[in-house]
Amino acid sequence: MAFEPNIVGFLCNWCSYAGADLAGVSRIQYPTNLRVIRVMCSGRVEPAVVLSILAEGADGVMITGCHIGDCHYIDGNLHAKRKYELTRRLVEKTGLKTGRLRLEWVSAAEGQRFADLVNDFTEQIRELGPSPLSGTTPDLGLLLKVRAAKAAAEGFRLRALVGKEEKTVTDGNVYGEEVTQEEWDKVMTESVETEYSRHRIHIALTEAPGSVKELSEKLGMGSQAVLEHIVALRQLGWVDVQEIRGTSPVYVTMEVPQ
Amino acid sequence: MSKPVLVIGGGVAGIQAALDLADRGLKVHLVEKSPSIGGVMAQLDKTFPTMDCSICILAPKMIECSRHPNITIHTLSQVTGVSGGPGDFKVKVIKEPRSVDESKCTGCGICSEKCPAKVKDEWQEGLTERKAIYIIFPQAVPLIACIDRDNCLYFQKGICQICSKVCPAGAIDYEQKAEEIDLDVSSIIVATGFQEYDPSELGEYGYGRFEDVITAKEFERLVCASGPTGGHLNRPSDGKIAHRVAFVQCVGSRSHKKGYPYCSSVCCMYATKEAVLIKEHEPASDVTIFYMDLKVFGQGFQEFVDRAQSHWGVKYVRGRPGEIRRNPVTKDLTIWYENTETGEVAEKEVDLAVLCTTMISRPENKELADVLGLELDEWGFFESLDPLMNPIETNRPGIYICGCCHGPRDIPESVAEASGTAACAAETARRYGQ
Amino acid sequence: MSEEPRIGVFVCHCGINIGGYVDVPKIVEYSMTLPDVVYAEPNLYTCSSDGLQKIKEAIEKHNLNRVVVASCTPRTHEPLFQGACEEAGLNKYLFEMANIRDQCSWVHMHEPEKATQKAKDLVRMAVAKARLLTPGDEPEIDIHPTGLVIGGGVSGMTAALSLMNQGFKVHLVEKADKLGGALNELGTLFPTNVKAGELLRPLIKGVEESPDIVVHLNSALKEVKGFLGNFEAEIESKEGSERFEVGTVIVATGADYLDPVGLFGYGEVHGVVTQLELEQKMKEGSLGDVKSVVMVQCAGSRIEERPYCSRICCTEAMKNASLLKEEDPDRDIYILYRDLQTYGIEYTEMEWDAKRKGVKLVKYDKARPPVVTRGERGPMVKVWASLLNEELTIEPDLVVLSAPLVPNPDNKTLSQQLKVPLNSDGFFMEAHVKLRPLDFATDGIFVCGTAHSPKEVAESISQAKGAASRAGIPMAKGRVRAAAITAVVDEDRCCGCGICIELCPYNAITKDEMGIARVTSVVCKGCGVCGASCPERAITMRHFTNEQLEAQGLAALGRVVD
Repeated sequence: MAFEPNIVGFLCNWCSYAGADLAGVSRIQYPTNLRVIRVMCSGRVEPAVVLSILAEGADGVMITGCHIGDCHYIDGNLHAKRKYELTRRLVEKTGLKTGRLRLEWVSAAEGQRFADLVNDFTEQIRELGPSPLSGTTPDLGLLLKVRAAKAAAEGFRLRALVGKEEKTVTDGNVYGEEVTQEEWDKVMTESVETEYSRHRIHIALTEAPGSVKELSEKLGMGSQAVLEHIVALRQLGWVDVQEIRGTSPVYVTMEVPQ
Repeated sequence: MSKPVLVIGGGVAGIQAALDLADRGLKVHLVEKSPSIGGVMAQLDKTFPTMDCSICILAPKMIECSRHPNITIHTLSQVTGVSGGPGDFKVKVIKEPRSVDESKCTGCGICSEKCPAKVKDEWQEGLTERKAIYIIFPQAVPLIACIDRDNCLYFQKGICQICSKVCPAGAIDYEQKAEEIDLDVSSIIVATGFQEYDPSELGEYGYGRFEDVITAKEFERLVCASGPTGGHLNRPSDGKIAHRVAFVQCVGSRSHKKGYPYCSSVCCMYATKEAVLIKEHEPASDVTIFYMDLKVFGQGFQEFVDRAQSHWGVKYVRGRPGEIRRNPVTKDLTIWYENTETGEVAEKEVDLAVLCTTMISRPENKELADVLGLELDEWGFFESLDPLMNPIETNRPGIYICGCCHGPRDIPESVAEASGTAACAAETARRYGQ
Repeated sequence: MSEEPRIGVFVCHCGINIGGYVDVPKIVEYSMTLPDVVYAEPNLYTCSSDGLQKIKEAIEKHNLNRVVVASCTPRTHEPLFQGACEEAGLNKYLFEMANIRDQCSWVHMHEPEKATQKAKDLVRMAVAKARLLTPGDEPEIDIHPTGLVIGGGVSGMTAALSLMNQGFKVHLVEKADKLGGALNELGTLFPTNVKAGELLRPLIKGVEESPDIVVHLNSALKEVKGFLGNFEAEIESKEGSERFEVGTVIVATGADYLDPVGLFGYGEVHGVVTQLELEQKMKEGSLGDVKSVVMVQCAGSRIEERPYCSRICCTEAMKNASLLKEEDPDRDIYILYRDLQTYGIEYTEMEWDAKRKGVKLVKYDKARPPVVTRGERGPMVKVWASLLNEELTIEPDLVVLSAPLVPNPDNKTLSQQLKVPLNSDGFFMEAHVKLRPLDFATDGIFVCGTAHSPKEVAESISQAKGAASRAGIPMAKGRVRAAAITAVVDEDRCCGCGICIELCPYNAITKDEMGIARVTSVVCKGCGVCGASCPERAITMRHFTNEQLEAQGLAALGRVVD
């Protein structure tokens, strides 16, 4: 049987959901693979929710909002763009193809455009093939990575950064200094790397306690990097030493305080 | 309890006035001549300077009207009699038969699909065809079909009745009669809008003779994604994509010789918007606007024109073209003009010429003015009580005017005025309410 | 809600619109297999009065506490079905829709099997969300029936009088020592050439004599707190400060004329004045023996530094030129312009009138503007007349500069006090340039007149009445019900970082005395950006919770979580 992708779409109520309705009113035909979740604003769509749906095996996730400048909530779509960018970075980290994600703007008048978009994205997903996380035998290694990405997206640091991004890049930081998009992107790259790696370690230790060396091998990370993250995670109270095996400490996860 | 308010005209001005009044708790009768509210704004592709899609921002307001518990929409209706005074007007409204039961029709459109009778689609500015039973446009409010009896085979020849057979809701009613409705209202808001000048009388531009000389309103449909060409700039004569387009300003305006002496206020900006739309479709297009004075008097207008020039490369030439000729073989058009800034007389070959025609008053204003007891100005627009101090009041207390029925103006001005008339009506309702 | 969900599913045929492509009986059958669904039925038209009646009956008969309708789009039909639920005593937020027409049967007309499968998925998703729905309380808010009008010019007074005539009390705040604003400086007003004083007198009299309008002269706004219906304003004057409560605010603070110092010889060459100064001379009769006048348009506007057109200057010049010609037809009057901005019926007529009277219109180019220097007996103007292709030298008695209206310097402070935006020119910026020209995005605050952008007196009057209508709406209602789709902050989780406050486009979130974010739910519009961004995940978006979205997502993938 031919591969029929499972695609989940988040459509903002005011523009793109209306555009999708218009495609219907105009009887414009498109593939049946999209399942739509209506949200009030594309800015509502959290990276963690998208990652959670990817973890459950969606072959693709599409987010659509009003065109820039047309947002019913003034600038919610600008935030959608920032959040989408974080999702994309995290997905990239996991090794899942970023082609499984799409962010587009569709106005309430663009029935044809909406249909074209669904066509195009469905085709793109067909070419990528089924998600390694779909079906009855998902790729467990990848699943752990996506879960780490989701946990990172739920964490304070990345959420706070993305929340601050629009204002900081447009208006400067709290010290009145101008921050360029490039400077900001550098901060984001580092933070995404750090947060993702720490959650990888944390999730690995939840599976089974381990030493720096074991973690380094299991996760394919440099042992120095793992050690640095472990130190940080200990300070956060997320992990602690369970025992000393030979000369190496073996770490274990702790109950994370809220 | 205060009496309701009558709003005549369901364009953006009438809609705004009705919503303002209904939101504050007054009942409103919204009388619209055509099968749907929405007016000219519903026909526009995008609106400047934000390039918002016109129907997208208007449709929610239209739906709000239809859902509002305080608003009664009377489509296909006209006011035929008014007596009394502020606080107590007695109004007669004639509702033409739709031949479709409004309470049953679900707007599914099957009837139109099966109807064999095709006629020019006025809503699409005659650029395509519709059926004799039709829904005027996809976002129509109410979303209900309507039989155009003049073109229906059953009404004309007594045959067919296909629509009645295919309608799953059993909504077709050939026996429907015109209905007379009596309303008792405290005040009346007139928002009947404008129409476009017919440039056929300006023989030199060839409108009516050359298919590829079109008016700006026709262009709006042509460039709109929900228009007859799906938003592709296929010119009417041979379907060739128009890459070279000329806009001619002041067609029928600012002239004492032909047309009208006044400036139509909005053409420079809509031409600029339309020029930008072409460039958005195809950045390599060659787009020229022939103008007299660039009217940039609104907020953000000059900036929009600057961007059209510097970013999009729209060309502005000062001069009123003398003539448009057509090459009978290629169908291409040649614009003869004098660039009044250089004194140079030149010609320009284009694929499509858009005439930016002036807004003129509706011919039916005369009859309505008689019914309402209002004065018209020399050009047939409703006259203000005083153009400076009482711009939205009229010579008859309790009757107010807003939007283009009293002269050319743009959408925000019409909307602001509509709210203004709503305030007047609310004041009147209070004064005579207790 | 602790009781177990009992969901009823109603699947609409919509004639053949759905039924012709989607197997409706199968959907009904399938619905019954979903968790917590206790009842399902097909309808020919669920939206018909018969269909709505069936929903109500089923709610009662089967003791339903959630309703799902699978039919068309919630954008048009949700309120209708919610209404039916409410009539049957079910909170309207316990309703969910599956759009199996506009986004299914109509777009998959050639694939009935796949369309049916998709419709099943959409119903499953709707049921998954319905299971997690909670009832919503629509917050109600009392609106204080008093308006605050800032600015006592023609716009502010017109707005105040309209509010008064609508039955509300008004506080009118004016920074000067008298009412009238910019019109106090002007002579006559176009298009009717009425003296400005004649227009102002009845307005001022009306305002001063009304017992419902409290005029605060020599006063400025110090602080505004609160939100729609319940603003608390503090004003300051020499006598001290005063506080009062108002329901709505109208900004009518007008604009200033640019002081064109350094432009076209102004301040340097004797005999160069502004239109405003000319008006004053004409008003006082102190013009003297002026035989020739050159007016220069766009004196400080439509240039890089100030790109906008000031809208009124061309018509103002036409009016003054015609008046000067009427006084003495032998006077030589030139208007040097770039593009004439006379528009509409009355103002274009003024241009024709000036031409008929012999006023000479000379077009100049932005790149080659007129140069005004000291001549032998007065100012000397050299201008490249672009339509004549020649340079003209004129030695008039008077050069009159049409200087543009510029934003009131107080705008910045006021915009911060009210938390409403200014545009890049420094004028107040409305909520939507086309359809909400008088509203700010913040509920309960409105704008009119030249505070928004340059405009004529007639337009300011229409706008002022319009703003009074907009402000009168919530006050006439007395109470406003806001949607229950709002953000809620979990106080225990909030760390007070303030990100949500920065993100909220409606200023609906503030910090309380403990530093904890508080949502003013009547102001919240429910976009959810704050919730999606809160670093502590302390904000829940009612009706669109993470759990609900995830449940829908999982259901879309065929996973049903019990």
